[in-house]
Amino acid sequence: MDKKYIIGVIVAVIAIIGVGAFALGGGHTEHAANELVACVAAHGEEPEFGFDPMHGWGYHDSGTEPLIQSTILKRDKDNNFVNDLATDYDISSDFKKYTVTIRDDVNFTDGSKLTANDVAFSYNKSKELGEGADLSSLKEVKADGNKVVFTLEKPDSTFINKLTDVGIVPEANYNEDSYGQNPIGSGPYKLAQWDKGQQFILEKNPDYYGKEPCFDKITNLFLDPDAAFAAVKNGDVDIAEVPVAYANETVDGYHMEYFDSIDVRGISLPTQMDEGKLSEDNITIGNNVTGDPAIREALTVGIDRQALLDGALNGYGDVNYNGVADQLGWSFETDYKDGDVDKAKSVLAAAGWNDTDNDGIVDKDGQKASFSIYYNSAASERQAIAVAVAEQAKEIGIEIEPVGGSWDDIDPVKYSQGVVWGFGSADPMEIEHQYDSRVAAVGYDNPGALNDTAVDSLIDAAMAQETNSSYATWSQAAQQATSHNPFLWIGTMDYTYFVSDDLDISNSTHLIYPHGGDIWGNIYDWNRINETATE
Amino acid sequence: MNKTPWYNKGLFSSLNLRQKTLLTIALTALVLLVIFISGTMINVNLPTDFATRMKPPSFEHLFGTDWMGRDMFLRTIKGLSLSIVIGIGASVISSIIATILAFVASMNKYLDSFVSWLIDLFASIPHILLIMMISIALGKGAFGVIIAVAFSHWVNLTRVLRAEVLQINTSEFVALSGKFGKSKLWIAKEHILPLVLSQIFVGTLLVFPHAIMHESSVTFLGFGLSPHEPAIGIILAESMSYLAMGAWWLAFFPGIALLIVVLLFDIIGDNLKRLFDPSQANN
Repeated sequence: MDKKYIIGVIVAVIAIIGVGAFALGGGHTEHAANELVACVAAHGEEPEFGFDPMHGWGYHDSGTEPLIQSTILKRDKDNNFVNDLATDYDISSDFKKYTVTIRDDVNFTDGSKLTANDVAFSYNKSKELGEGADLSSLKEVKADGNKVVFTLEKPDSTFINKLTDVGIVPEANYNEDSYGQNPIGSGPYKLAQWDKGQQFILEKNPDYYGKEPCFDKITNLFLDPDAAFAAVKNGDVDIAEVPVAYANETVDGYHMEYFDSIDVRGISLPTQMDEGKLSEDNITIGNNVTGDPAIREALTVGIDRQALLDGALNGYGDVNYNGVADQLGWSFETDYKDGDVDKAKSVLAAAGWNDTDNDGIVDKDGQKASFSIYYNSAASERQAIAVAVAEQAKEIGIEIEPVGGSWDDIDPVKYSQGVVWGFGSADPMEIEHQYDSRVAAVGYDNPGALNDTAVDSLIDAAMAQETNSSYATWSQAAQQATSHNPFLWIGTMDYTYFVSDDLDISNSTHLIYPHGGDIWGNIYDWNRINETATE
Repeated sequence: MNKTPWYNKGLFSSLNLRQKTLLTIALTALVLLVIFISGTMINVNLPTDFATRMKPPSFEHLFGTDWMGRDMFLRTIKGLSLSIVIGIGASVISSIIATILAFVASMNKYLDSFVSWLIDLFASIPHILLIMMISIALGKGAFGVIIAVAFSHWVNLTRVLRAEVLQINTSEFVALSGKFGKSKLWIAKEHILPLVLSQIFVGTLLVFPHAIMHESSVTFLGFGLSPHEPAIGIILAESMSYLAMGAWWLAFFPGIALLIVVLLFDIIGDNLKRLFDPSQANN
């Protein structure tokens, strides 16, 4: 009996070494030049409900490509809107009515014609299910001949972003339970096969109306990061997304390509004191340490973000002070020095936080400057950020306990402790979700429960302005909000890919890369560099 | 079959069996104590140093460093000491449960069949499943893991103790005490407990390695503790992602260290059994 588990351990160790040896060895698997084998996906995850845009396929934060379906508009590499299904669109001067003319030469892959009715149906269904794009301002959408008319509840100039967010499905025979397995769309590819938990295979849609992509077949594998890297080492894939931890490795026949993203990591800091207030879903709001603006300011100026990114993200990231990535039209400069420990200490001292008991942690009126930062334990970069921030905070006299868990563990404390978040949308509506007091402590919106009416009115003003000119107002709203430091922003993270040397993923035409984004946006420009080299 | 185990041969062969057994116990206990005490002196939040991440073993970092530049030697020791704490907690609690149930079973035949039923019930559920369910229900964390391991490891000891108590209960001196009007509690305390004490003690120690293995299994599967906390299971799970990069030391040393600790407990348990129960010493 007593030897059983000892043998068990030995077997386990041998198994681990065996798996490792298997991962390191192996040979190259050949595939045809017009076939692409990839291991990339939004968030690296398999869509739970399949390839159904009504259930969120092809959407995470504004700016992703559903491949199988078409959208009304798309974005180009400069983040301008270009027509996809639309031939023309008109926005009323009060930004409450959007009228889109739909092209009449588009067929679904089942041969039926794509009409304005299908577009209206898709938006209605998407709003009804509420799992994908944020259509909260949409009142109703109607088809009118070859036109689709969107009527909004309130002026919303950001709604044009939503026209890129919903893949169009056919109204006839749509079934919200089964469509995801057998999607019918009008995009550049159609689904040929989906082996759940393993891979999906796309084939080129011969009737596609837009620019024809080079690859006839795309196989996308669902692999864990270590398996993805092993697949690269084996030469089994043409392109694989890997966590930044692997980015400094070199593999023969592959090169590393990385993209600056607008995917920003930040830690929410509850802005209110814990006065027993509860959110709608009965979760405590507020924290007596971070509720003090001095604590939030000290952390904001005292954390050395560059050191953090060099470590946590292997250097594959850009420092960010305000949650708005530089690539966005509403970005702005912040005027303080990073990692200014002395200033952080003086901010704390000025607010009455002193280390009275000489334990290295400041306190005030008997309250020790101590709180927790929760992170999703599935994301190693968030773990590294939480741990490294906790370590740096100790230097300025604030004690932070990092706690890892699933979102189920984080939900009960998301408004009362620090939480490591990822944000990043090409839609300025993000500002509203982060700071608007009217959505304070609702779902994952405004988790710090910031309450500043100046921010709210700037948001309202921006929504009633023309898209391009509204960016200045959005910027003001974000500046007003960040002056309270409801988030400790750290930086944007790069997305890193191992790309086969014979594959050109057209680095110059890539779209903006949002939180949970994917790399498919410019699939039309991808190419084999030397077709004879593969076979 | 008079075969002395390997650790009773060689260097200390001039000592008699009892001395050797005592020496073995003392030495292994000392090693475990050193691991435990040094573990308690290490802060849970180990210092990170991104400048020295993923370094292979060297004199500066005996077990190498991990992806956050934490020293794997410290992390392993801290993990082992956590394992030992969980092992102590779990085996003490499960022995208490086993003792109580064994005595409850001896009260009357209804309680006896109830306890037997309970044993069968718990023995029929796979340990790892039970541990996962209990630790989730108790809100995860080290506490959840201790209780979960404790509540799944009392079964074997209970079975042994129940049989032992049953046997003692039929002996003449127990019957005599009963005739003299001694209460059942008195008999249990004065007659039965002293006789099964050695069984309880050895049983407690033999649960130890089980408990540690199960603790590392659940933390390996991601139940229980935060991924930045040093538990052997977490360390091993994390090392899986870096094996493809050639970082063998992340799995190798913690794995070997776990194996050694489990073996040490096993040695103590075996030797104690030999001391307390001389009739089986030659088995």
